[in-house]
This record gives sequence, structure tokens and C-alpha cells, in this order.
Amino acid sequence: MTAKRARNLAFSAIVLIAAAIWIFPLYWALTTSLRSENRIISDAGVLIDELNFSAYIDVLSTSKLPLWYLNSVGTSVIITVIVLLTGMMCAYALSQLRFPGRQTLYLLVVASFMVPVPALYVAQFVLMNDLDMVNTWWGIILPQLIVPVVVIVYKQFFDAIPREMREAVLLDGGGEFVLLFKLYLPLNWGITAALAIITFISAWNNFFWPFLVVTSEDMMTIPVGITQVTDAFGVAYARMMALALLAAAPVIIGYLIFQRRVTEAVMISAGVKG
Amino acid sequence: MQDTGVHLRDVTKSFGAVDVIRGVDMDIPRGQFAVFVGPSGCGKSTLLRMIAGLEDTSDGQIAIGARDVTHEDPADRGVAMVFQSYALYPHLSVFENMAFSLRLAKRPRVEVDEKVRRAAGILKLSDHLDKKPAQLSGGQRQRVAIGRAIVRAPDVFLFDEPLSNLDAELRVQMRLELARLHKQLGATMIYVTHDQVEAMTLADTIFVLQGGHVQQHGAPLDLYDDPSNRFVAGFIGSPSMNFFEATVAGHTKDGITAQLAGQPDQSFDIPLRHRPEQGTVLVLGMRPEHLMVTAAGGMRVTVDVAEELGGVSYQHGTLEGGEAVIFQQTGARHGMHGTVQTVTPELARIFVFDKSGDRVR
Ligand SMILES: Nc1ncnc2c1ncn2[C@@H]1O[C@H](COP(=O)(O)OP(=O)(O)OP(=O)(O)O)[C@@H](O)[C@H]1O
Ligand SMILES: [Mg+2]
Repeated sequence: MTAKRARNLAFSAIVLIAAAIWIFPLYWALTTSLRSENRIISDAGVLIDELNFSAYIDVLSTSKLPLWYLNSVGTSVIITVIVLLTGMMCAYALSQLRFPGRQTLYLLVVASFMVPVPALYVAQFVLMNDLDMVNTWWGIILPQLIVPVVVIVYKQFFDAIPREMREAVLLDGGGEFVLLFKLYLPLNWGITAALAIITFISAWNNFFWPFLVVTSEDMMTIPVGITQVTDAFGVAYARMMALALLAAAPVIIGYLIFQRRVTEAVMISAGVKG
Repeated sequence: MQDTGVHLRDVTKSFGAVDVIRGVDMDIPRGQFAVFVGPSGCGKSTLLRMIAGLEDTSDGQIAIGARDVTHEDPADRGVAMVFQSYALYPHLSVFENMAFSLRLAKRPRVEVDEKVRRAAGILKLSDHLDKKPAQLSGGQRQRVAIGRAIVRAPDVFLFDEPLSNLDAELRVQMRLELARLHKQLGATMIYVTHDQVEAMTLADTIFVLQGGHVQQHGAPLDLYDDPSNRFVAGFIGSPSMNFFEATVAGHTKDGITAQLAGQPDQSFDIPLRHRPEQGTVLVLGMRPEHLMVTAAGGMRVTVDVAEELGGVSYQHGTLEGGEAVIFQQTGARHGMHGTVQTVTPELARIFVFDKSGDRVR
């Protein structure tokens, strides 16, 4: 009994230390953002001994952060909605409809999963340029709409729904749309939430593509915007950290709310990818 | 009232190269309770699903009443189906499960409410309308599945082994409720089952299927008393009929004398209208309840297992030639296990089949 307790305590201690190491950079960013720029250079302490919000005020009033927020939220939400809707419909067709070429199509979806996204950046940029979509939301959004994982995960879940349930709907007078939106989707809210979260987070965090396709400061998303601040202010640690924290805030708050779902989502997508 | 019977004409079904249903004709008049029985894999479910429209019909015609529905969608046929697995919608309440078809048909709220509550009343589900299927017992789930069918007021109810997931006691109870429901609704019902008792008690007509054919159909007792071939004779009745090989030893005034194969001292004078030639090889069928224990002179059976059910007992044993035999005892309490008994068949109740299995009358 006591040996077991001791082992538990030791284990808890290790976990605590690991958590502390992991959270330290975040904590340091917080303390740094709450100091004045001058003090940061002279004194690299890590305690919160000053509550100086000037960095936040400065960032919020002088940079285009509100606009970047809007761009990030807007593009991420649109990406999430379209990716889920099209992914779900595609998965439904592959899983439930019988048509020639179904297997081939599914193999294509799986194969597209193997193409590294950065390999397409140049082609996509040229395409967006030709479509006159550089520096627009659609320019940011379109290339991010191809997410084969969503199709693959949905298909697996749709495959698992018993045939008789589908047949009951057919007998009750439902067609494919009723089947998808009143049976398959409601039965998979959990996985839908999980997929929405990973899609949203990856769109939100996406740096390189928006960085390429957007040059006007007004159209930037937050991750791209951060680079601008660094340039504009020189080495302004407090403001950089304040901006980074503001950028991360929605994701962190979202994570705290949907904690369980996020963990689930990461595990599911890791399962598919790994 | 319009005809809502089910009529099949030369219906066939093949999955790729495999013929599962081969030319089935049947007429189930309006309001009848028809039961499909047959060994596993004989195509009972497939035939039922074809009537429902869940499987395409390869050839032939399916009509409900005067309407040819062979190529209609399931929802347009006026049929409702109750599945073995219930197939309830797990995310919807009992009420919404039953209301699903009405909501899709965009029926007015009042009508939906009234119809669902009435069905729930019939099925004693009124107290459970807000529950999810997962919160119900097996019997209640089955009732919801039936309720979902009732609400649509279909012309034809289709049941695919609806009670096989329930325990014995509930099965008996639900069987009675189904019989009551059939009387109450007066709709045509088609029911697939493995259970002899369900078939015998529920059916107006039993269809015995084998290998994609209807072997025989008729009222339960007609099939029991007058099977038209060896397969039906063996399939209907539990425990099943005993079969012994025999040869025609001679003709009598109104029948034949048949001699058991390998047992020259065992011969029976069986009344028969068509008398096969002397020397013809036949199969004799005797039901367990038609074998009487007699003092001497009968077939000697070594009893190796005795199943005592209280009222009746089934004695399983072997003849001298090694053929398995079952006979029934009523009210007897003297353990026959391990003993040798002599049994004699009721001559008028011996069924005679030719070598191909057809009945000789
Ligand atoms: N979708 C299908 N594809 C290919 N073969 C099928 C399909 N559905 C059924 N079969 C075959 O058709 C035959 C009849 O099947 P069916 O389900 O109708 O049998 P059943 O009489 O209902 O059997 P059970 O009593 O076991 O339910 C079986 O041999 C089965 O393998
Ligand atoms: Mg079946």
C-alpha cells in the first residue's frame, strides 16, 4: 500500500516537473509582456512584479491587430465550414453510394494525402495570381480546402453505421440528404466537433501560405501580422510577447472550453496519419 | 376496402452469379399473417427485403394489391419493416423515432402528436416517449420499432426475425402482443422466423422456403399433418420427424406392406392410394408423438438421452441398425435413460416419401 503510494507520488512529481518545463516559455512570455521595454533589457527576471499593460495598449492601438483578428477568424471559420461540409459529403458518397469508379476515387483521395502541401505552394501561388486572388480572403482560403483526412475519417465512421438503420430511413421516406443530415451527421457529432477543431486550429496556425499570398498589411492573418510588428518596432520584446499572447488567446480559450474534444481530435487524426 | 394483399409472380433474385431466389410465386391475401420459414441462408430475408424494395428484383413481378411495385422506391410501396436489430435512431427520443416518417412527410404537428401517442398507447410506451433507445429494455426497443411501423399505417408490415434478440419469456409475451396487434390493425403481415412456435402460432399461412423455392405453403396444421415432401415434413415440427428407409414388400387391399431396411422382422401395413411397385425403396416418416411404447413386437430402441420437460418427455435413442430415433412420452415418469424400449408407430400416421423426397399418398 505505502509502496504503491510512494510510486504514485513519484509519478505525480515527474509529471508536475514536466508540465512546469513545458509551461515555462508561456509563463515567461506573459511576464515579459507585462514589463516595460526598458526593464526587459536591464533585468531578465521571471517574476510577475510589475503589471504594465503599455505593451498591450501599444500593440492594440498602433498595429492592425483587430483587422488581423478579423482576417484570421473569417478565413479559419470559412475554411472549417467548407472543409467539413464537402468532406462529409464526399465521404458519404464514397461510403454509401454505389457508382462506377468509387474505389478509384477513394484511392485518389488517399493518395492526395501523401502529397506534401508545401510542394504545391508555387503552383498554387501562380494559380491564385492568375485568378486575381492574391491579397484576398479567397486566395488564403481556396488552397486550404483540400483536407483528405476529413474525408477518410468521416468515411470510416459512416462505414460503421449499420445498414439496417439506413434502410429504416429509406422506408420512412428519406432520401440521401435526409440520410446524411438527419442520420449520419447527428450520429457523428462527436467526430464532427473533433474534425472542426483540428481544421480550425490548423487554419488558424497556418503561417506560410497566408504569408505568401498576402502582401498587403490589411489582409494579413495574425501569424503573418506578428512578423510585421517585429519589423515595425525593432526588437520590442514586450510588444512581441503581448501580440503573440493575443494571437494565441482565442486558441487557448477555445482549448480550455473544448479540452476533451481537442485531445480526441488529435488522437483520431494521429491514428489516421500514423 | 382496397386490396392490399401481396402477390409475387415468378420472382427471382441473383447476387452476381448466385441465384438466391428462383421463381417464387405467392399470394398473400389482404389481412393475412404469412410466415416464411426455412433453413438459414434459404433466402427468407432476401425475399422479404425484395418485397420492401430494399433489394432489386432481378426478374418477375411484385404487386401490392393491384399495384405493381416491382420498381417502386421502398417508401412508396406502403410497407413498413421491423428489423431484427430494431435499427432505431439512437440520437432521437422514442417519440421522435416514431414521428420520423411523419415529420419527413411534413404532416401537421397535431396529427404527428396524435398518431404517435396513439401508437405509444397501443404498445404501452406512453411513459417512455422522452427516453432515448439506449435507455430502454430489449422488449421496449422492439415495441418502438413496431411503433415506428404502425405510425405510418402501412398496408403491409414486414418483420425479419423481430423477436430473436429477446429472452424466452419476453418472446412469448411479444408473440401474443403481435397476434393481438394483427387482429387490432387487420393489416397484411409477413413475418420471417426460425422459431417453430412463432410460426405455428402466429401464421395464417406458412411458406416453407428452401434453396430459393417455396417448398410448400398452407395453414400451419395442414403443413404439419399433410406435408407434401420430406423436407417440409422434417422442417415443420419440433423435435422433427423420424425418417427410416424401407422397401415395399407387398401390396395389401388398401395400401402396402413396407419393410424397414435391415430389419426383416419390422414391417408395417400402411394405407396408401398410390401403391409403388414391390421392391421400391421408400422413406417412412414418423412423428415422435406417433410412436407408442408397446410391450413387445415393435422396433427396439436403445434410449441414450431422455429430455424430461415435465408434461412430455422426448426419448432420444437408436434402432438396432443404428438409425437415430426420437419418440415422445406423455405424463410418464419412469426414467427410460439407458433402457431398451419397443415402440410401434400409428400406421395411419406414417408418412411415405419416394427416394427423391416427394410424398407418396
Ligand atoms: N448482398 C448480398 N450479396 C451476396 N449474397 C447475398 C447478399 N445477401 C444475401 N446473400 C446470400 O443470399 C442467401 C440468402 O440470404 P438470406 O439473408 O436471405 O438468408 P435467410 O434465409 O434470411 O437466412 P437466415 O435465416 O440465416 O437469416 C445467402 O446464401 C446469402 O449468402
Ligand atoms: Mg435472415
